[in-house]
Amino acid sequence: MHQYKMAIIGPREAILGFKALGLEPVYVTDSKVAVEQLYSLKKDKVEVEGEMKNKYAIVFIMEEFAKDITPEDYKKLSADPLPAIIPLPSHLGTTGYGLQKLKAIVEKAVGMDILS
Amino acid sequence: MAILNVNPTRMALLGLKKKIKGAKRGHKLLKDKQDGLMQKFMEIIREAKRIREDVEEKLGGAFKNFIRAGSLMSEEFVEGALLYSTAKTELSVKTKNVMSVRIPQFTLKTEGDVITYGYLQTSGELDMSLQSFQDVFPLLIELAEIEKSAEALADELEKTRRRVNALEYRMIPDLEDTIKFIQMKLGEMERGTIINTMVVKAKIEAQG
Repeated sequence: MHQYKMAIIGPREAILGFKALGLEPVYVTDSKVAVEQLYSLKKDKVEVEGEMKNKYAIVFIMEEFAKDITPEDYKKLSADPLPAIIPLPSHLGTTGYGLQKLKAIVEKAVGMDILS
Repeated sequence: MAILNVNPTRMALLGLKKKIKGAKRGHKLLKDKQDGLMQKFMEIIREAKRIREDVEEKLGGAFKNFIRAGSLMSEEFVEGALLYSTAKTELSVKTKNVMSVRIPQFTLKTEGDVITYGYLQTSGELDMSLQSFQDVFPLLIELAEIEKSAEALADELEKTRRRVNALEYRMIPDLEDTIKFIQMKLGEMERGTIINTMVVKAKIEAQG
């Protein structure tokens, strides 16, 4: 079975630890570059048994960069089943972006926020 | 309601009746799909919220340790220590089909040790932080799986809701109105012909 990789996007000092876990670190310092990196990670494919498959299944991204992704970009990035783009709180602490995103998902599906 | 642009003929009437039957069937199916999706979504979304809160709490602690370790040691040492990590992660992905939405399922396999450096030149905080990173890791994978699923389901739910509404409030009433209109028009034409024949008959009788 095809094995996927995972990547993490964030500032160098924060994601160094994840590198030790076997994730592929992508060091960025501003959100514009982060978005470009997201696109290139999404496009990264490998050929398995004559089929093109995504190289990365999960891309973690630090919240401080995730919050600057425009809705249009996000829509394009999350259109396919893979990769899953998951914002993580950084060493600076949580900004509440992850929960906000969940709320937006609920509102989209149900029509109103029922989580709170 | 709007009446569709068709000729008021028997042929068109038959066609429309067939169409409305299909529309009603489609509406019922889509409504069932919407209910099924909603049920699944409700199951997932609360779980997603719980995991996300859990992750945020635990990861915060892990990062704190790591930053502390970084401040106690020079960066080269940290990086050098992590360079020899033998940890390998392998992620296999299966996709599950829920109401025609493909949701991913991740299975994680980890091998090797994260801590493969000598303890002499590294601080205890580094060990602790790596350990906590390793502990949070499975949770992160779970979060990725469940959030992606919730997202895909929400997308599909929105689409299905639009379709259901379009059928329920637009297509079916329009078709019903048009069918009624054609039936009335046909009836009117029928009555018109009968009256015509009656008038002609009366005229012939009056002459004869």
